[in-house]
Amino acid sequence: MSYEPGYAGLGERLALRDLIPSPRHAAAIWVRNARVFSKLWKGALLPTFLDPFFYLLALGFGLGTYIAHGINGIPYKEFVAPGLIASAAMWSAAFETTYNVYFRMNELRLYDNVLSTPIEPQDLVAGDVAWSATRATVYGIVVLIVVAAVGLVSSPWAILIPPFVLLGGLCFSVIGYTFTSLIPKIDLYSYFFTLGVTPMFLFSGIFFPFNQLPGWVEVVAWFTPLYHMVEITRGMATGPEAASILIHTAWLAVVTALLFPVPVRALRARLVP
Amino acid sequence: MSANGDVGPAVLARRLAKSYGSRVAVDGIDFEVPAGICFGFLGPNGAGKTTTMKMIYGLARVGEGELRVLGMDARRERRQIKARIGVVAQETNLDGDLTVRENLVQQASYFGIGAATASPRVDDLLAFSLLTDRGGDRVHALSGGMKRRLMVARSMVNDPELIVLDEPTTGLDPQARLAVWRSLERLQRRGVTLLLTTHYMEEAARLCDRLLIMDEGKIVTEGQPGALVGEHVGREALELELADDCDPAALLATIGERADGHELHDGALTLFADDAEELLRSLDHDRFPTESAMVRRATLEDVFLRLTGRSLRE
Repeated sequence: MSYEPGYAGLGERLALRDLIPSPRHAAAIWVRNARVFSKLWKGALLPTFLDPFFYLLALGFGLGTYIAHGINGIPYKEFVAPGLIASAAMWSAAFETTYNVYFRMNELRLYDNVLSTPIEPQDLVAGDVAWSATRATVYGIVVLIVVAAVGLVSSPWAILIPPFVLLGGLCFSVIGYTFTSLIPKIDLYSYFFTLGVTPMFLFSGIFFPFNQLPGWVEVVAWFTPLYHMVEITRGMATGPEAASILIHTAWLAVVTALLFPVPVRALRARLVP
Repeated sequence: MSANGDVGPAVLARRLAKSYGSRVAVDGIDFEVPAGICFGFLGPNGAGKTTTMKMIYGLARVGEGELRVLGMDARRERRQIKARIGVVAQETNLDGDLTVRENLVQQASYFGIGAATASPRVDDLLAFSLLTDRGGDRVHALSGGMKRRLMVARSMVNDPELIVLDEPTTGLDPQARLAVWRSLERLQRRGVTLLLTTHYMEEAARLCDRLLIMDEGKIVTEGQPGALVGEHVGREALELELADDCDPAALLATIGERADGHELHDGALTLFADDAEELLRSLDHDRFPTESAMVRRATLEDVFLRLTGRSLRE
């Protein structure tokens, strides 16, 4: 396999000062990405907002008609809808931190310029991840507004969903960024999407619950971020239990924090050899 | 503008070396770039120029030895160094999704300069690079020369004391190159230290107060452009196209010490001397027939080819 120029694997261990981002410098990266998004969203990105609604129509309103008794006492449409808030955020973060970051880094060589200013790799990763999570939240909020407007949200707690989507967005983004910083070739994204994102989308409890399935399915699902995200959004939309929300929130926060140093290391090794 | 005159050289390298895996890119070089001058790095492809520049502007870690930029240690004080220098990379890496003006405003934000402070400076930079009426255009719409001028303008947003330019005019037409040269000359007059790499000898001769030639990771020679020509090839060159029945070895034997040196390549013989006219007259044209003979001034190109050879570097 031929590697992209500069591919450097995981890189070496870094001192703490090379891992902790400077908020001011990370913010400059966030602003750059937001500036570009604000130009593009009305054009090229518009269809990406529609994705979740096709699933809602086909499965919630289509297939759901045949699920007469709903699931766990909830009408099927209402069961599916909050999960789509979570998955919209996941898809947004997955695309942003794979193809978009890859092109900025390897094709446009924008990071070469950025890293020859006072911005350091940890600021760059933090700014990109924060932006990606912001964008994911925007997508999640769009779905939230629509499903609430058509009456698929039964609990007022749903108003608190956006900050949790932001946290989930951070988690998805760090995972996507880690993959991007470690892959030697763009072709490998097919593995990320086909073996990672798509199965997660289908098997994280958005479309069916785990209680009728063998126990190991839920165990596997527990290790995926989308499962926790869906549990939070569905809980908030249908009536939350504090303990459950807390556990899922902690899972997302811990994974995000533990994983963050990996792309920082890999990016530094790759771009500052 | 440049306030570092009292803290020594803009760049100081001692036994500086850098390898990528088993490939040695820079092989223990020493040099000093005095503040306020234009300093050139010449050398064939793969000589180690770009790696040296990248170590200076923070895109390659220092391998071995010592590297100080504006008095700071390039290993430990990357962020502080980068805050005070400007970079024009070899590859054009402007932000294509942004306009010309936004590229400069965005670059300023990377230096912590807010939009309000940046705005008048951006106006100045657009005027400086003759892009005032293109401020609202997407970068894609610019010609190659305009993109290069914007790269130079972008390197100035933080009012740097030192600007590193890696092949700033490669691929430009003569007019565009001239425009870049003019902007660099204006920077020089403002007292900014310029450090540039180039393949173009006339560029080096025109812009650089001092230069060095690198080959295979090492420094081959260093000095003022004019002095280097005098030292290595003499003042003039005599170019002879030898006839088929002319024996170059015998010809060179009769010339002996009268030439300061020579280059022989496929029947084309270049002789260097302080008075090439005189040397031409003294040759035995019956014994050593030539197709053509031309006397010209010796140039930096002669020095370069003499020291780094004529074989292709891929």
